[in-house]
Amino acid sequence: MSYSTTATYSRRRSNWNRNQNTVAFTSAVKLGPITHTVLVALMITVLGLIYLTQATKATSYDYEAQKIDTKIAELSDEKTDLEVENARLTALSEVQSSSVARAMTKPSTPAYVGN
Amino acid sequence: MPNDVKVNHRIKFLAIICLAVMAVFVMRLFYLQIVEHDKYIALANKEQLKRLSIPAKRGEIYMMDDGRLTKVVLNQTVYTMFVDPAIVDEPEKVKDAIREVVGGNAVDGFSKLVDKKETRYQVVAKTVTRTQAQLIKKRQLKGIGFQAESRRVYPEKKLAAQTLGFVNFEGNGQYGIEGMFDKELKGKNGLLQSVTDVSNVPLTIGNKNIDLPAQDGRNIVLTLDRNIQAYSEQALARGVKRSGADSGSVIVMDPNTGKVLAMSSLPTYDPSKYNVVTNAQAFNLGAVNNPYEPGSVMKTFTMATGIDTGAVKPSSTYVNTDYIKVEDRTITNASKGETGTITFQHALNWSLNTGMVTVAERLGNGTIDSKARSTMYRYLHDKFKLGELTGIEVSGEAAGRIIAPDEADGNAVRYSNMTFGQGMDLTMVQVAAGFGAMVNGGTYYSPTVIEGAVDKDGQLVKAAPKPAQPNVISPSTSSQMRDMVIKARRAFYASSDLPGYRVGGKTGTSQTIVNGSYENGQTIATYLGFGGDTKPRYVIMVEVSGKGKNLAGNIDAMPIFTDISNWTIDYLKLQPQR
Repeated sequence: MSYSTTATYSRRRSNWNRNQNTVAFTSAVKLGPITHTVLVALMITVLGLIYLTQATKATSYDYEAQKIDTKIAELSDEKTDLEVENARLTALSEVQSSSVARAMTKPSTPAYVGN
Repeated sequence: MPNDVKVNHRIKFLAIICLAVMAVFVMRLFYLQIVEHDKYIALANKEQLKRLSIPAKRGEIYMMDDGRLTKVVLNQTVYTMFVDPAIVDEPEKVKDAIREVVGGNAVDGFSKLVDKKETRYQVVAKTVTRTQAQLIKKRQLKGIGFQAESRRVYPEKKLAAQTLGFVNFEGNGQYGIEGMFDKELKGKNGLLQSVTDVSNVPLTIGNKNIDLPAQDGRNIVLTLDRNIQAYSEQALARGVKRSGADSGSVIVMDPNTGKVLAMSSLPTYDPSKYNVVTNAQAFNLGAVNNPYEPGSVMKTFTMATGIDTGAVKPSSTYVNTDYIKVEDRTITNASKGETGTITFQHALNWSLNTGMVTVAERLGNGTIDSKARSTMYRYLHDKFKLGELTGIEVSGEAAGRIIAPDEADGNAVRYSNMTFGQGMDLTMVQVAAGFGAMVNGGTYYSPTVIEGAVDKDGQLVKAAPKPAQPNVISPSTSSQMRDMVIKARRAFYASSDLPGYRVGGKTGTSQTIVNGSYENGQTIATYLGFGGDTKPRYVIMVEVSGKGKNLAGNIDAMPIFTDISNWTIDYLKLQPQR
């Protein structure tokens, strides 16, 4: 089966009407096969550069992420150190030997309501 | 045109050479890229792909502190400081930095190590803190490096050392909770596989990246109460010193839940300095690891068996002659003179062996026959769970042993001895848990030291309760036993306790077996009791022993019980009853 396209233009449509500007441009520059090849090569180069820029950008994010990870690790270590220090200072042996504890007196036997 | 033909020929020849060279290139490329593809891919991956292990954080251990969580085992990142003497260009400044900043953590003779120019690696300080490392880094000295490592920190020092255990240099938990839950505490290391740069910074290029985050270890919460634990240890230390004994153990339990509130032994050690311990006994948690013959504290179990089976009542009587014959053996009382017709309450007060043997005889048909022995075994072993593992979550639990009546040694003589705590090997945790069931209304709770775990948000997730065994003895028997034990204590030590509280207990003085026979000159002192207001709130068991020491339950163990009991009543804010 074959297809054919039939275009019918009416006389009216093919005539130019008033106040209609019609410009028919034909380039004077003719590109040869070498120019085409160079242009394609340039386009490929540009695309390659774009790819490289994006890849480098992604890598720079990696360094940024690494810096943040390092910072998180440092803060986590600092938090751990503070927790350890807190645990040491609030250890029973530490509390019992503190000046505050030494100044305390033994309580008298408590009296309960109803006794 | 011969010249044109010649030029054409040369061009063709050149073209053939070019083609040949190209063919060689193509073949080589084919070989490298197709045939050897896998090899070079592997080489490239080896160079560019790094597999980094992400260490999991070891779980921390908490205790309770009057209902609040408190950390007792933590992790801290510390550094091993090393120098490369070949690179160090200002050795004096390096030495000054070590001396001024690191101080006591520097290794002996670090000054000479820095000067060993012919070497490339010398450790000059250990366990350097992060702050110290930062101060040294600020000095920007060449040839100094730090190697990070995680270490366990025990801020409470020796507190509950045997229950906690320690982590050895290989990072493995040993003894106690650290040993028992080593796998759970360790967690699972993560994996980061990625293309890295020269500084090992992972990059997101490539399609073989793997990022498996580490699963940190479980944070375990113990049932031990820090304050009860500390006071119990102090009281035990005072008591052991007073007696001139070598060792001792104490366990404090909540009889209504089976939760262990305190548990410790002497001698002890500091888990952060486990490597300097010379006496391996210090690692043992006596209450769990060391079975022994508890002696007369077991008379409470004999009475409970007698009452629950209906064989005797506290007010039932027997004729005490201070000795009783069982087969070819004669069993005598340690306390003599309470002869005549006396009640079993009286026998318990005076800890008379004859009374307990009589109870055993009444369990049978007038002798310690098969029926009596089976009944005793059923109560001691099957109901009170003595002589078998309790499942307490501490490594190295000993099962102990109660010889069954159908065994060759399970004869009447043995069972008569068992009525007053000899001829059986039991751990303190078994006895305390069984005694808890005896006084709490008759429900056996398996002893536990695990309260739960702390989740990522710092919230306590309670552990599922262990299955309880109700009706070990009837509530009526339990009530009678509470009264009996209170009377037994009040008969001699009424003034020791705070007025208005229900405190009961029983002494035990057991001979030890030396060279296969009982040795009177070396005895172990034990005290087992409970205290509370409207109901029992705590069970305390104390044991004191020493090589060549003749120790008595009422003199050497009972005062430790009293000390802890009176303090615990105040600590738990129990109100006295009328």
